[in-house]
Amino acid sequence: MNYFAEPRSFAEVGRYLLDLWRREGTLQFLRLSLTLGREKSVAGEMWKYGTVIGLFSLAFVTYMLATEGGAAFNTSSDGINWGLAVSVYVFFALISSGLTFIASLSMVFGFRDYYPIAKRCVWLAIITLGAGFAVLALELGHPFRMLWAMPAGLQYLSPMFWMGVFYLIDLVLLLIKFDRLWHDDWDSPLSHFLSIASFVAVVLASGMLGLVFGSMVMRPMWYGSFTAVYFILTAALSGAAAIVLATYMAYRFRQENMPELLRGMASGTALPAVFATFIGIALFSVVTRMWTGLWSNLDGLEGFHALVRSPWFHIELWAGLALPFVLMLAPTLQRKARWQIAAAALVLLGMFIDRFQFLVTGQAVPMFKGAWASGLTTYVPSLTEWAMAVLGFAIVFACYGLGEKLFDLAGSPRHQARESAEMKTA
Amino acid sequence: MAKWGMVIDLEKCTGCQACTAACAMENSRLPGENWQDVIFFTEGEYPSVQVKWFPRPCMQCENPSCVYVCPTRATYKTEDGFVLIDWDRCIGCKYCMIACPYGVRFYVDEKPLVAPDIRKVFRSNDKHAWNPPWKMPDDREDWKRGIGVQPPGVVSKCTFCYHRVSKAPKGTADLSEHDPGTREYTPACVVACPPTARYFGDLDNPASEVSKMIANKNGVRLLDQLGNKPQVYYLTGPGGAVPSNRAIKPS
Repeated sequence: MNYFAEPRSFAEVGRYLLDLWRREGTLQFLRLSLTLGREKSVAGEMWKYGTVIGLFSLAFVTYMLATEGGAAFNTSSDGINWGLAVSVYVFFALISSGLTFIASLSMVFGFRDYYPIAKRCVWLAIITLGAGFAVLALELGHPFRMLWAMPAGLQYLSPMFWMGVFYLIDLVLLLIKFDRLWHDDWDSPLSHFLSIASFVAVVLASGMLGLVFGSMVMRPMWYGSFTAVYFILTAALSGAAAIVLATYMAYRFRQENMPELLRGMASGTALPAVFATFIGIALFSVVTRMWTGLWSNLDGLEGFHALVRSPWFHIELWAGLALPFVLMLAPTLQRKARWQIAAAALVLLGMFIDRFQFLVTGQAVPMFKGAWASGLTTYVPSLTEWAMAVLGFAIVFACYGLGEKLFDLAGSPRHQARESAEMKTA
Repeated sequence: MAKWGMVIDLEKCTGCQACTAACAMENSRLPGENWQDVIFFTEGEYPSVQVKWFPRPCMQCENPSCVYVCPTRATYKTEDGFVLIDWDRCIGCKYCMIACPYGVRFYVDEKPLVAPDIRKVFRSNDKHAWNPPWKMPDDREDWKRGIGVQPPGVVSKCTFCYHRVSKAPKGTADLSEHDPGTREYTPACVVACPPTARYFGDLDNPASEVSKMIANKNGVRLLDQLGNKPQVYYLTGPGGAVPSNRAIKPS
C-alpha cells in the first residue's frame, strides 16, 4: 500500500520530504526514510535492506580500494585481466537490455497483453544499468578520467567506445521514457518515438557489448559475430526472468496480491510461452557454442574443456536452463506462481554463472606468459570483488523498493485498463 | 622517418634473461612485471621432454590491436613505429591487455608476485605507484609516453626504450651496442644480450642490418596469422622455432 499518492515531479517529492521532516523531526524522519513509511511494506523492506547492505559493501570496497588498490582483486596481468566485477557489469547491463526488450513487446510491437509490466520493466532497466555502471566504475583504474578521456579521444575503432556511446544513449532514452510514463503519456507521438528509439539503442548497445568480446580474434572463445547475437538473445532471457521475479517480489510472491490486469497476465499462458521460448533459444545457443568449442582443435579454445569439466557450467545448463525450460513448458506447472518464480530465479542464477564463465574461460589460456603461467589460468574472486557484486544487487534492491514506493510501477495506459474492464463487463 | 624494429636470433638466444634484467633496471619494473620476458615452456612428454625458451618484448605491431581497442586513445602508435601509452589518459580498463595477442601489457595495481610487496617497502610520497631505489633520472621520465615509474591504475608495457632510441641521429640505419656511436641510443635489452642475439634498426631502410637479416634469413613474426604485423622478427634457422601457439601445457 502506498504511503502517499504517486508524485508528479521531483519538486513534489522534495516538497513532501521537506514537509515530512519539519513535521516529524530529524530522527523520526530518518527512521521513516529507512522504512519508506509507517506501515511495513515489501518496498520498504527492499529499500531498507538494500540500503543497509549496499552501504556496508560500499564501505568495505572503498576501504579495500583505498588501502590495497587493485591488489584487493584477484585479477592478474598473467591470466584473468577482467574478473567478477566485469562479469557483474555484463550481467546487469544485459538484464537492463532484456527488460527494455520486454517493455518493447507492448510499447513498440503492440502486444497489449504486456502493458501491465512495461513501466516496471523501464524502471528496472534504468536501475540495473545504473548498478552495472556503478560496479564497473569501481573496477576501473580511473573512472572519473573516463568521463573526459572517452569523448575527447573519440576512438571510433574501439568496440568499448561504441558500447559506452550506445549504453549512454540507452540510459538517457530510458530516463526520458520513464518520465513520459510517469506523466501517463503512453500514446503520444513522442512516447512512441522514444519507445522505438530506445529499442533500437538497446539492440545496438547489447550487440556492441557482445562485440567488445566478439571482435577479439586473439581470444577465440569469444571471437565471432555470434557473440553479439548470443548477448542479445540471452539478454532477452535475463530480462524476462528479472521481470517475472521482480513482479512477484513486489506482491509478496502471490498472484492474489496483484492488481487484476497483472494477475490475469501472470496466470495466463502468454507469459510462460514467451519465457519458455527465450529459455529454449538460450539453451540452444549455449549448447551449440559448447559443441563447436569442444570439437575444434584451434589454439585458444582449451577453455571449453575446462568449462565442460566445471560443475558450475552444469548447474547453469541443467538447473539454470533445462529445468526452467521444462517448468515453463509443462501445462500443469507453467501457470502456477511458485514454478514461475522458481524458473525465473533459476534462470537468473544460470545467467549469472554464464556471464562469469564466459568472461573467465575466455581468458583462461594465457597470452605468452611462459614460466609464470604455463597452464590454463584459474581464478577465484576475492572478498572485495564479491562485495562489489553484492553492492550491485543491493543498489538494484534499494532502488526497486524506492521505485515501487514512489511510482505506480504497475501503471498501464488508461484506455487499456478501460477496455479490459469493458470486456469483463460484457 | 625510421620504422624501428628488432630482430631476435633464436639460434643464438641462450635464455639467460639478461635482457629481462636489463629492461627491469632500465625501466624500474616490479618483480614479474617483465616488459621484456623470456618464456620457458616444455614440449613433449617424459622421456622425450624438451625445455624451450622464447624471448618476448612488445611487438610494437604495425597494426596494433591494443591501439584500436583503447577507448580513450591513451595507447597510440607514433610515426616512427613505437606503440606507447599516455599514462595521463589511461583509465585502467585493461581492454588493451585483453586485445594484445602477445601478453606484453601489465596492470600495476595487482597482488604482488613476490613477498614482501616491493611497492610497500619503497612507498611513494607522490603520484607514482612506488618509489624504487634505482630509477632513471627524473628528466627522462615521460608519462605521456609511458616511460618511467607509472602512477597507480594504469597499464604499462615495453616502449622499445623510446627514451634512448628517439635520441638517435636522423637517418641512422642500425643501433648497435658494438658501435660506440650508437650504443647509448640502443634499447637496454639489445645492449645487455651476451650472445648478441638481438639486433635493432630501421625496417624501412633496405640497407639496415635488420632488413638484410629478415630478407636473407627468413625472419618470421609471432602469430602472424592474427594480422597484427609485429615489428619484432625472429630468425629461427634449423635450431630455433617460433611457437605456433601460446605454449601452454596440454590440458
